[in-house]
Amino acid sequence: MEAQKFARGTSLSIFVSDRREDFSALIFAFAIAFGVMLIVG
Amino acid sequence: MIYTVKSPALLIIGILMLIWGGLNNSGAVDGMQSYLQKSAYSDHMKVKEKFDAEMRVATEMAAAEGKPAPDMKVPASKFDHVKAYQAQLSFIFGGAFVLIGLFSLAWKPKQGNLDYYVSVVPGVAFILLIAFIVRWGLDPVFANWGKAVKDAGTLTWDFAKIFNLNYVVLGIVIGILVVNVFKIPAWAANGVRTARFFLKTGVILLGTLYSAAELAQLGALSVVMIGVFVLGSVGIVLFMGKRMGSPNSMTAVLSAGMGVCGVSATVAASPVVQAKAEEIAYTIGTILIWGVGCMFLFPTVGHILGMGPVQFGAWAGTGILNSAQVAGAALAFDPHGIETLKVAEIFNITRVLFLPLIVLWLAAWYVKHEEGAEKVNLAQVVVAKFPVFVLGFIAMFALSSVGTFAPAGHYAGKYFSSAEVKEDKLLKGKETRALEGELTRLREPESAQALSKYLVDKSVILEGHKVTAEEVYQALSDLIANKKVMTRQQNNILKSVAKMEGLDALAKGSIEKAGKAAMHDSKTIKAYRDWIAWLFAFGLIGLGMQITGKALKQAGGKPLIIGGVVGTLKAVGSLIVVLMFVKEFV
Repeated sequence: MEAQKFARGTSLSIFVSDRREDFSALIFAFAIAFGVMLIVG
Repeated sequence: MIYTVKSPALLIIGILMLIWGGLNNSGAVDGMQSYLQKSAYSDHMKVKEKFDAEMRVATEMAAAEGKPAPDMKVPASKFDHVKAYQAQLSFIFGGAFVLIGLFSLAWKPKQGNLDYYVSVVPGVAFILLIAFIVRWGLDPVFANWGKAVKDAGTLTWDFAKIFNLNYVVLGIVIGILVVNVFKIPAWAANGVRTARFFLKTGVILLGTLYSAAELAQLGALSVVMIGVFVLGSVGIVLFMGKRMGSPNSMTAVLSAGMGVCGVSATVAASPVVQAKAEEIAYTIGTILIWGVGCMFLFPTVGHILGMGPVQFGAWAGTGILNSAQVAGAALAFDPHGIETLKVAEIFNITRVLFLPLIVLWLAAWYVKHEEGAEKVNLAQVVVAKFPVFVLGFIAMFALSSVGTFAPAGHYAGKYFSSAEVKEDKLLKGKETRALEGELTRLREPESAQALSKYLVDKSVILEGHKVTAEEVYQALSDLIANKKVMTRQQNNILKSVAKMEGLDALAKGSIEKAGKAAMHDSKTIKAYRDWIAWLFAFGLIGLGMQITGKALKQAGGKPLIIGGVVGTLKAVGSLIVVLMFVKEFV
């Protein structure tokens, strides 16, 4: 269970479905977008 | 299971980064940096010469008046900014890596989330160190070398440019070398696997850089191109697979992989057509061989054919199978801009949006051709396999298009603002006099007729109407009166007029100077571009570390033949269509 939770497979395609990774990327991207907007903008 | 591998590697990487930051801050590596950052250094010397001259005059004036020498500071040049930027990044990451490195050495890891996330950091630091070396070191070294060889006449072309020896390609190549020659160290393995996460973040963040008009234009073009080539590729693979007697499940997964977006489509289509593990492996091997070849070949062909960002982006986004490799090829072609990547990713995302349609088609095809095929819940497969982060890109674009992140008009990275023109950028007396001379001349009957003919011949159109000579006179009069361009519309009119033959050289230069002075860098867009470039650079180095000889050897037999034929048809066919019909309009 533990190994499966953190298994990320390979990076060969960015479109291989991995919901956990997708949502993490979504949160990270929005954090950067709003962070840049607040700090630089 | 414990993931953290005890190693001083993270600490060493952190210290190396801190040293680099310190060397840049102290000026100890200025000699090396002046070679690496040639253009910024040339700007630095100009700024310094200008300052020395001003300082001399000010000192002489002060001496004449019996006052002490003025206290003046040298203004920061591009070179100073480059060094400060490198030092800042090195201090931030180096400091963080040293702290986490010390913690991981002292800490006794326990199974759980903290152990996993700590285990990821050394690999991230490893890729980041390579990214720093490649972006700040190897990329400029090769660029200078290619230019020097061309300037010396040894070659008539710039080999570094033609072979795309920039940070993207060099990063991927180093990644491939690391994994195939040296093997990825155990302490870095978990971090290297995060490459895909950073690529996904980069794609989502890219959504901040499109204007609605840009996306509408590119979107329409991409739907047509992708529609034709995706459906065409799937159809040809299905046809060839049947003719060559390949198993139906093998043919179906290969058609999804060759048609839509490589590995993900293969994975999404496999349950629908009940593909076996070895068939998936064959397909992925075939896609990889083709994709890796294309990633290196496409940018070179693009440069030889003199393609622009829109043309190349459209071609790469259509002709290359794997999404990460599309990004790699686009950045390899245009490493210091982001236009090509923007176009390529629109095509890529359009292709992914075709995925449900293709899965449906393959399910129907498989049930028709395979005796005893089991029915699968299609909706469930599509929902389970559709990449959510593509929706993230769309959400980001939606927020961006209503001006959440940057004002409209800033998307190109530069924006027009007359109010922000600095005092020293205003036109000088001799420049306005040259413009007055030209305005008087252009009002004379013969010149006025030539101007009107020029505007008609060149179809100078602004906001849907043809520009008249009166508008040109008004723009020139306003420019002379205010010593700067007043509106974006007048800037566009004047830019067109500056291209007219027979115009006085000083007047032409003045128009160009005034136009440049009114355009300003958007700091927000620049920050987004920097983030995106780093995320992709990081992700693509990690991608290189996943391209193993073992994965490529999975290809073979009939799938490789069919894949080769269809891949070539798609690449050549899309190239012809792009060269014939796609114009640079962004």
